[in-house]
Amino acid sequence: MTKLKMVVCLMGALLIVGHPVYGANEHHHHHQMPGMSMDATGMVMGNNKEKLPDDCKEIAGEYEINVLAGTHYAKPFASTMFGYSEHEWRVEPCSRVTVHFKNEDDVRHQWMLHGLPKYLYDRGMFHMEASGGHAQTGVFIVPSDNKTYLVHCDIAQHMEKGMKAQLIVGSGSGDLWSIPGVSADFERAGGVLSRQPGFAMLLSVITFIVVFIIGFRFFRI
Amino acid sequence: MSRLYRIGLLLVLILAIAVLLPWQWYPREWRVWYADNFGASGFQEQAATVPASTNDSAEEACPPDIRGWRKSQSIAGVAIKASPNCLADNPHAVAAFVKGTNNVGHMTLMDARLSPDAVVKGRDLDGDGDPDEIHIRLEVFELNGGSPDLDVPVTQYSIAPGVTPGLWVFAPKSAGMSTENFESLVAQPGLRLPSPAIRVEQGDKVIVTLENTHYMPHTIHFHGVDHPFLTESGEGNDGVPVTSEKPVMPGKQRSYEMQPRQTGTMFYHCHVEVQAHVLMGLNGLFIIEENRPNNWVQTFNIGDGFVRHSSVAVKEKYDREYDLHYLDLDKDLGEKIQQSNDPRIVTQLINRDYNISQADFEYYTLNGRSFPYTARDSLIVTAPGEVVKLRVVNGGSEGVALHTHGHKVTITHYDGVEHPEPSRIIRDVVWIASAQRVDLELSTENDGLHSYGEGVWLMHDHQERGVTTNGFGPGGNVSAIVYERYLQDNGWPMTFGMGWKNFLTPGFYQRKDDGSGVTPLLAGVEDRGPSVLRLVILTALVGLLVGVLASWVMRVRSSD
Repeated sequence: MTKLKMVVCLMGALLIVGHPVYGANEHHHHHQMPGMSMDATGMVMGNNKEKLPDDCKEIAGEYEINVLAGTHYAKPFASTMFGYSEHEWRVEPCSRVTVHFKNEDDVRHQWMLHGLPKYLYDRGMFHMEASGGHAQTGVFIVPSDNKTYLVHCDIAQHMEKGMKAQLIVGSGSGDLWSIPGVSADFERAGGVLSRQPGFAMLLSVITFIVVFIIGFRFFRI
Repeated sequence: MSRLYRIGLLLVLILAIAVLLPWQWYPREWRVWYADNFGASGFQEQAATVPASTNDSAEEACPPDIRGWRKSQSIAGVAIKASPNCLADNPHAVAAFVKGTNNVGHMTLMDARLSPDAVVKGRDLDGDGDPDEIHIRLEVFELNGGSPDLDVPVTQYSIAPGVTPGLWVFAPKSAGMSTENFESLVAQPGLRLPSPAIRVEQGDKVIVTLENTHYMPHTIHFHGVDHPFLTESGEGNDGVPVTSEKPVMPGKQRSYEMQPRQTGTMFYHCHVEVQAHVLMGLNGLFIIEENRPNNWVQTFNIGDGFVRHSSVAVKEKYDREYDLHYLDLDKDLGEKIQQSNDPRIVTQLINRDYNISQADFEYYTLNGRSFPYTARDSLIVTAPGEVVKLRVVNGGSEGVALHTHGHKVTITHYDGVEHPEPSRIIRDVVWIASAQRVDLELSTENDGLHSYGEGVWLMHDHQERGVTTNGFGPGGNVSAIVYERYLQDNGWPMTFGMGWKNFLTPGFYQRKDDGSGVTPLLAGVEDRGPSVLRLVILTALVGLLVGVLASWVMRVRSSD
């Protein structure tokens, strides 16, 4: 099977390589976005090595983070299915962040950061997508304010099932909800009672009656 | 004196209670006796009619085609027909599916939101001018799933206004976000019900790779498609976990191989816990087209419906081609993925708790929509003197009794196998069992048999629950055969009956009488039981009576 897979992949790769110039003979009404690259291994959008945010005089620090992604990293957190090797990173304001993103699964995953200045990043987004077994590297520069940025994978249900993280710039602006190992779920209470409201009701009624009898009989003035 | 006073007070109280007690609360016999002796009571005015209120919450029937997807166009050298319906397929995706995602440019892929290896078309093995090595990659998406942080479904897809059942679908491998954009919770147009129709050519060497992007295990079984039980390397190839192979776990992938020798309209579906997975939406059409020279087939038809780039053989015989996918959905099953965010609990709810033998099916869809949304992208648009090919599959659990108003259709194929011409039958109700496919020939020749002439002719499941949404009509899989003369420029049909505005509000399908749809059709009636004031006074009087009686009893006892 692996042999066949390799042959298939090779065939696919050859086919793709055989048509190297994407869009060379195509006339299109809009141009490729700056800071964007895309091929069969994935894509990087919002790549920015040089342009400083308006509120930064200079690059205050350099950070390099390695992120591994896949179902393997969901194991430490029961009830998740997908995960990153880390779910929280801290950097200083105005620093340049280089992200090496390696996908260890056989399906696509993303490392998407939201809330950056829209004048520098299209829709305020830095976005990396790695095909199964592939890696991507991207760079972005964060502004000067203390802020917590959402990082996630936007494939349906991947964020919900564990691929959610936060990048804390400076002192941050508080934790985001439902980050594995960091914060609680906002909407859902845990435990058996929340799933079986009838059982919970019965239990509360019995408890109430017992306490009432105790109070009535033993604490009567 | 005090005793007399008390008795007097009691009598007054009892009399007051008797008068205030609603007439209907007395035993029937007493009321008959009263009427016999004192005659009928005076005329009582009935509750007033609540006037029908107009509402402005209706959605636009046909959203404008801002992106220019409907018009006929040529993309990457592929001629794409105009789409007559209001909502058209993404023509960039159609072009990429025809040429192969490896043979189109970067911008086409970006506009199509497809991965470069979604449909890789390779060598021309028989030298007839079209590729015969086809490598398809499918992913699995959850629509209207749960979230740990929101109390609304995420990656939303509405089958009808405000109706968002939990769904799982196969989709060609895409690139980028699953939603329209970061601010939106709505699924991007390429992710929708039904799982898309797949087309290959007879004799093609096909590899279908399932990339399981979902948090549950899945497989693909190619129902009716000629495929070997084992792959060349000896791995299971039938997609059946109990006989063929282990399911594809989350984050993993598996490739299926086939070289179909026979043509026809076939089927594919997930074979894990079939009683749930198939009915969550993991099933689609798999069509093997006749091998012809220069036959570049449209590998995927997203959302089924109108085929914008039909195969050479279909174009020889037919003027237009439509894929029709009927699917009924169990509301309770769909809700299970919204009840918990924990994959272990979802697994328990679906694999252990769900009992299909106790199930009801509430939603009836055609090409992933229920009326009135079916009119946006699943009208059969035609013109006089045409021959139209309909490939129909029933992906649901109940049969479909497909009825065409104004037409009798000819069944040309059952389950992909052609009927010899003399034995073909012509009907206006076609029964389609679960998983069954029929190919229908719709002739618009106005001869009183095949067609009764031009118009807006309804087409629907004639089992009446099929024309409802959660038991409420009009809804369900209602669509129509619409002649071009009866179609407005934007693709919406010209109708002469009641307005459809009321059906285009979420309130309508929630049976709300708050003026969001129901009241304009059926005026409401004021709720008029005994007035609250009367009941309050009555209760107060009864309380007083009981109090007086109690004090009386206590006093009598203490004096004893």
